[in-house]
Amino acid sequence: MIKIENLNFKFDNETIFKDAVIEILNNRLTVITGTNGAGKSTLLKIITKNIRTNCKIQNAFKNIFYLPQNPYYPKDITTFDYLSSVFYKNNWKWFLDKDEKEKIDNVLKKVELYEKKNLDIENLSAGEIQKANIALGLLSGADLFLLDEPASNMDLINELKILTMLKNLTKDGITSVLIMHNLNIAANFGDNFIGIKKGEKIIQTNKDEFFKKDVLKEIYGIDFEIVNSGGKIYVQVLG
Amino acid sequence: MTKKRGLIFLILIFGFILSLFLSLFYGLDNFSDILKGFLDGSIKNSNTEIILSLIRIPSVIKAIVAGSCLALSGMFLQTVSKNPLADPYLTGLSSGAGLGIVISILLFNSINYSLFGFLGALVSAALVISLSGFSKFSVTKLILIGLSLNLFTSSIISFLILLNPDKAYSMTLILTGGFSSADISNRMLFLIFCILLLSCAFFIPKLNIMRLDNRLIFKNEKAANKYSIIFIILSALLTSLSVYSAGILGFAGIICPLLVRLLFGGDARILFFGNILTGSTLLLFSNFLANNLIYPMQIPLGIVVAITGAPFFVFFLLKKGGALLK
Repeated sequence: MIKIENLNFKFDNETIFKDAVIEILNNRLTVITGTNGAGKSTLLKIITKNIRTNCKIQNAFKNIFYLPQNPYYPKDITTFDYLSSVFYKNNWKWFLDKDEKEKIDNVLKKVELYEKKNLDIENLSAGEIQKANIALGLLSGADLFLLDEPASNMDLINELKILTMLKNLTKDGITSVLIMHNLNIAANFGDNFIGIKKGEKIIQTNKDEFFKKDVLKEIYGIDFEIVNSGGKIYVQVLG
Repeated sequence: MTKKRGLIFLILIFGFILSLFLSLFYGLDNFSDILKGFLDGSIKNSNTEIILSLIRIPSVIKAIVAGSCLALSGMFLQTVSKNPLADPYLTGLSSGAGLGIVISILLFNSINYSLFGFLGALVSAALVISLSGFSKFSVTKLILIGLSLNLFTSSIISFLILLNPDKAYSMTLILTGGFSSADISNRMLFLIFCILLLSCAFFIPKLNIMRLDNRLIFKNEKAANKYSIIFIILSALLTSLSVYSAGILGFAGIICPLLVRLLFGGDARILFFGNILTGSTLLLFSNFLANNLIYPMQIPLGIVVAITGAPFFVFFLLKKGGALLK
């Protein structure tokens, strides 16, 4: 669990967060939404301490995996080598052992990149590279994933596959926090929601409470039509 | 790919041995005579022995040391900065060394300029690293500060050359690099080189983490920067050693790592050996050409390195450089 209280943050003179309280619960898929520049990525950077603030962050997670938007990747190594980079982090040996190679193969199968393990990364599509990046997180053994718009390069089917995988991982003890813009898909997968209205308010609640006309209007400033049929939520923008 | 890698390695080793052979024995007696001389001891105090021990072997050692050091230091800087344009030159090391050399020529009128080159390189490395900041370190800052320092010191060098026209020739000659200075024992040089290589080998696997985005976080810590600084200090040491043994050779430090990367891909463990081989081969062969192309005139080494290295590099870049050029 992560808990931040009295979060105050300013960019120059522009208030982003004012006395905000943020809580990330274990084994849930939390979705962060809000307009551009509302402070979604900033919130992730505050949690990962890439941005320093004065407030205290209570963190009960052991390892965090943070994936920024458009991460750098080298162009001349294979997918397998790319993933193997993780294992050089914590020990001083020159070669991977059999166990670690097997782990990489298994993760590649999980994200459906096994057939491309010997292809150079630059030959993968943007969505496949993103899958490889999420595979890095799986290999790292992190119990909290912070993903900044993980599906922005993916087609609908791959997006659903990745989100289904992350949703299933929450049952295995891996908590995910995603920044997402597509409210329909978010409603389908998210357990908890954090809606950010810049400088004013952070609405943090569960799915049923979040998808209400007045809540969404408060965050986005426009009207929505929301249909809730048997637990499935459909969101339509009215403008 | 692995099969091809093996083949390329064999070719490189062959090239290395060939240039080692040429630099050692070209123009001397028959090789079989020398070998026989070695075996029955008759080589002692002969002309051949004097040439070998006083001229050929020292310059071969210096070529190997300078070549591997430059190539490795370029490789470290390129991987850490994730920028194929980074090289020892960009950290301001080379020009720092150059300033040290020019000052020593002006003040002492002696040939032991390499010590001052060494000091100059160390001072500029320390300056660049401390200015780019240990706590708020960023690679872009490092390159920009290095570039500024580079321009600053090279302008001072040009200014000093302008002010002292009587010594201008020797100064410009030294700045193009060469192995003619000998004020450190070769054993000592080789010992330092081996220690440095071993410490590099110890850290090499960590270079593979640099292939990932610096912002990616796996643990509750930011370890990437810690290793960046280690690798920058290592490359500063390597550059200093190469300046000490061969003067300023800017070009080798940028083309060797790129060439090796084009040939072998992005695995630091393989690149380590590739760079040692390619760097020393390039300098050995260039040194051979520099000594023998217009015999008995000696061409400054830096010129030959650029002339042999550049066409070769451009050829491979156009043929195989798709990934690096994007």
